[in-house]
Amino acid sequence: MTLDPFAVEVIRHGLSAAAEEMSLVMTRSARSPLLREAGDLSSAITDAQGELVGQGRDIPVHLGAMAYTVRELLKVVPASTLKQGDVLIYNLGALGGNHLNDVKVVRPVFFEGDIVAFAVSLAHWPDIGGTWPGSYLAKAIDTFQEALRIPPIRVATADGVSDAIVQFLKVNVRDPESCEGDLLGQIACTLAGEKRIVELCARHGKDMFVATLSRLHDLSEAEMREAILALPDGTYEGEDFLDDGGPNDEPARVHVKIVIAGDEATFDLSGSCDRVSNFCNTTSFIARSAVAYSARIMSGRDMQQNGGALRPLTIITREGSIFEPGLTAPVAAGNHETSLRIVDAIFLAMKDVIPERLSAGGATTSGMLSFAEPRADGSWKMLYEVHAGGEGARHDRNGCSATRVHLTNTSNTPAEVIEANYNIRVEQQAIRWGSGGGGKYHGGDGVVRSYRVLAPSMHLTSCVERKLIPPFGLSGGEPGKGGRLTLERDGVTTELDGKLNLVLQRDDVITVEMCGGGGFGSAV
Amino acid sequence: MTNVWEIGTDIGGTFTDIIAIRRDTADVRIAKVPSRPQAPVQAMLEAIEAVGLQKSEVKRFIHGTTRITNAIVEERLPKVALIATRGFEDVLDISRYRRRDLYRLDVVPKPKAIVPRELCFALDERLDHEGNVLTALSDAEIDRLIAWLKAANVQSVAVSLLHAYANPVHEQMLGERLKQFVPHVSLSHEINPEAREYERTSSTVFNAAAMPIAVEYLSELEERLPIGSGLQVFHSAGAMIPIAAVKRRPLVMAMSGPAAGVAASVSIARQLNKPRVLTFDMGGTTTDVCLIVDGQAEMTDGKLLGDRPLRQPMLAVHSIGAGGGSIVKLGSGGLSVGPESAGSEPGPACYGRGGLRPTITDANALLGYLNPETKLGERIGIDLVAAVGVIAPIADGLGLGLKETALGIIRVANATMARALRRVTVERGIDGRDCTLLAFGGGGPMHAAGLAELYGITEIVVPAASSAFSALGCLTADFSFLQQQTLRVGLDGIDLARTGERIDAMVDLALDPLLANGIARESIDVDLVALMRYAAQADAIPVPFTRPLDPAFMRKSFLAKHRELYGYATEESCVIESVRVQARQPSTTTVGRPGTVAKASTPVARTCSFDGARDVMTDIIDRSSMTGLIEGPAIIEDAWSTVVVPPGWQATPDPSGNLYLTKVAS
Repeated sequence: MTLDPFAVEVIRHGLSAAAEEMSLVMTRSARSPLLREAGDLSSAITDAQGELVGQGRDIPVHLGAMAYTVRELLKVVPASTLKQGDVLIYNLGALGGNHLNDVKVVRPVFFEGDIVAFAVSLAHWPDIGGTWPGSYLAKAIDTFQEALRIPPIRVATADGVSDAIVQFLKVNVRDPESCEGDLLGQIACTLAGEKRIVELCARHGKDMFVATLSRLHDLSEAEMREAILALPDGTYEGEDFLDDGGPNDEPARVHVKIVIAGDEATFDLSGSCDRVSNFCNTTSFIARSAVAYSARIMSGRDMQQNGGALRPLTIITREGSIFEPGLTAPVAAGNHETSLRIVDAIFLAMKDVIPERLSAGGATTSGMLSFAEPRADGSWKMLYEVHAGGEGARHDRNGCSATRVHLTNTSNTPAEVIEANYNIRVEQQAIRWGSGGGGKYHGGDGVVRSYRVLAPSMHLTSCVERKLIPPFGLSGGEPGKGGRLTLERDGVTTELDGKLNLVLQRDDVITVEMCGGGGFGSAV
Repeated sequence: MTNVWEIGTDIGGTFTDIIAIRRDTADVRIAKVPSRPQAPVQAMLEAIEAVGLQKSEVKRFIHGTTRITNAIVEERLPKVALIATRGFEDVLDISRYRRRDLYRLDVVPKPKAIVPRELCFALDERLDHEGNVLTALSDAEIDRLIAWLKAANVQSVAVSLLHAYANPVHEQMLGERLKQFVPHVSLSHEINPEAREYERTSSTVFNAAAMPIAVEYLSELEERLPIGSGLQVFHSAGAMIPIAAVKRRPLVMAMSGPAAGVAASVSIARQLNKPRVLTFDMGGTTTDVCLIVDGQAEMTDGKLLGDRPLRQPMLAVHSIGAGGGSIVKLGSGGLSVGPESAGSEPGPACYGRGGLRPTITDANALLGYLNPETKLGERIGIDLVAAVGVIAPIADGLGLGLKETALGIIRVANATMARALRRVTVERGIDGRDCTLLAFGGGGPMHAAGLAELYGITEIVVPAASSAFSALGCLTADFSFLQQQTLRVGLDGIDLARTGERIDAMVDLALDPLLANGIARESIDVDLVALMRYAAQADAIPVPFTRPLDPAFMRKSFLAKHRELYGYATEESCVIESVRVQARQPSTTTVGRPGTVAKASTPVARTCSFDGARDVMTDIIDRSSMTGLIEGPAIIEDAWSTVVVPPGWQATPDPSGNLYLTKVAS
């Protein structure tokens, strides 16, 4: 059918607007500070086949994985079995997943009896059971230790929310009260998405709507193909390392071989290390998510991020590697650490080809600290906090300080909110001045934050990468300073491993110093 | 009795609009004079002269101003020092970490802190979240601060201490001591008594930066126009506020000018019975848009200004830094407009006041939309040669013709405006194309049809007195005052007597200025709104209520509102986060077609271009003489504004002087 270009624009904006509204509903109605303050959530809309067509301004790593969340679901739950009003909940890695904390809630959207789209809400649950409060276990032997595994279940139907399933989830998590409010918020957010999609169909007609989604994929595909065509053909290799977890706990290698050929690009990650000995393994969907982000940066173009933009990209991972560690491998931290190392490796591969589109190495780690405090009734209060580091410098400007880079984009929880909700005192939150690497343009500085424990005990989880191997400089710029994690107990300060689980005592002070970004160009 | 005139005036970045009304005779006078950023009070007094009045004839003088907004958006702010709790002095650099664009590395991820590091002071003191003092603020520490301040040589200081919203004791101590050494002190617990250190500090710093600007001109105004309580300012929330209160909290003026325009729009929306109205107020420096649904403009608890948070109850106006005076640039990414503005001095090149850089107005002039012969407000003429001079380099750069380039500039400007319209409608979940576009401000009626075309809107209203519409809003809005305070009380086990007393005290505060203006208590309405949330939520939603407070009713209303907004409600405990009280005397003022509008010069036809390629001989219509339908292309003019009716559109006046623009079915 012929498409009115104006209507295509309207539907395109309508899809983004709908996804943005979904995130707004989620943030405003959520209970957990991780969602309502830090915004560790994303919203997306897919077409009837599960291909991404619209996304909020959320967290790129989520959005990249969500491009597969519905597609993989439809392989095990055929679309023909779905009914209007159904809402599915799941978190399995195999179903376009990333880690078990990120729970997906998916609603098929019907118009005139057919599925025209899916509204997808992803939210990071601060706890979802497992061995350790917060559901991250640095040395987990498998994913069963990490958290509750949820296959696709109808949490709601046209008859309403299933109380039995809500109860089942609540008895398996450590903060059931917040969990219920957050879950209802996720369901509400998919309802908001449904409403907007139905409006778009009603205004433009179902056929026009469906044809437009297909057209949007084609537009992004064409844009991406043009961009790749403009890159010089060739094979480019790059590698970077996670601090540890490799053979004998040595640094773990992430390697990429990029082949640009005409208007297509292959990203081969097979040269990366085998399954690692900690929670930094990840899923192939996360590898795809990181490549999708990097390809977008490499393109230097503005385009709608959708399934079409992925078509010219081939992504290869190797069975048994850190990206295909097996369905039961622990993956909690790979989501935000290993994924970022892929971006680093790709940037290093392309550094001599398109330096002006890239940035030097930034704070490619979550810098995550999670604190769990038991309540008298046996439930737990969970604080999950990520930390900002320095942005890498670019060919024409300094890196920005205290910012989230690349695939990440969650906020801090304000010190005043932390202190009002947890038995923690934030002793300082400052810029780690001078942590950015030097150069013609210097890297941004990281942050320093110190937490004093005011409860008798707390369970700490940390995930501070880029301690041993700092963010790289480019074109002669210096690397940024690596991160640090320290514990002050009884007046003695000791340096801690970046990735650990530890029981803290009253008056312990945990300090995280985030890495600075690398510099660009040599200083004169 | 000589002081019978009530005056509303809107001080924009480029023009000052004034409207004077006399209730006993229903006389209306309008004028427009250039703003004078260096001498704003002089411009206001000139505006009074321009409507032929003496100062002694003025009874009430209410002004709205974009002075503060423009200073913030254009980052022309005086030097401010920030005093923060030790360990938290980098709060502005840290912000909330989040970056603006997900997929762009070429743009800086976050705006830089508006207070440089060397002007941030780390103060030894500390409270906890309940307001308990952990580290007391010593006199010696205050002395250390004062010594530092003397060396820093600043006129204004922002004090934002951790948990000051829970206990202001240390901020108050500093407020007392510092005022002997620094002219302007802003305390965070007064500006934004809410948790979240970054947002509160950012708001307080904005207030501190606004203070020297505001106090200086308000004091001068009081001196030169001594009419006591008749002197008021228009508040961002769409109400009035006495001068004395504004001097302490100039941030309430942050959206003052735009709010006045919205207030006027609300009365028009009610009069014309339009259920969904999008306001489109394009001035010289900024463009403001706001959504009005069923005669009510949306309120919000804060907004981003120049990408930095500002927490204040205000009308939900979305502003962008693009207006007639916005500078047009040709960069590697193509054409861009704003946020930098030529302002009123020098103004656009075509105003012939020394402007040397191309602006949107120059593009409009080049397309023939501005009358080259009329003196705009008899103060400013149009110099076409100058407009050509500044647009030509861009046309050369693009390899396009002059008019084609001018039209491109207008399209880029309209696309920027369309994004603003999308923002205010999307957040309310409304399809903007079903709305009526209410176009005013100097540039609104000129750009309205192009914008509507782009956005899919089919009905535009250009109100009578469109060019002085915000000034009109100062007079036609309800005469009202607003109080908002944080209560943070749980509904379960609420102390009704104590909460009731606190609300009564707020009502008294809101009533005071009305009573001081001699208004009888019986004719004042009091609206009460509680901002409520579940205990574990962060965002509160507005729930109207009446006294005495009934917890069962509050809970029921909250659950209903929550269900309406989010589709569900639970049995969790809920909290009244804050209460908003508005005392108002409902407006009885309606202003029809102004009697003394100066006529535009002899209506003729002139050459205009609507597609950038062909020149079209276009009828020029005098707005005041319009009686029936006019088919586009046409230019409708009055003394201060220009309505562009492109081909394919038509214009019809209504008896009150409003102009309807509608798209002709093709």
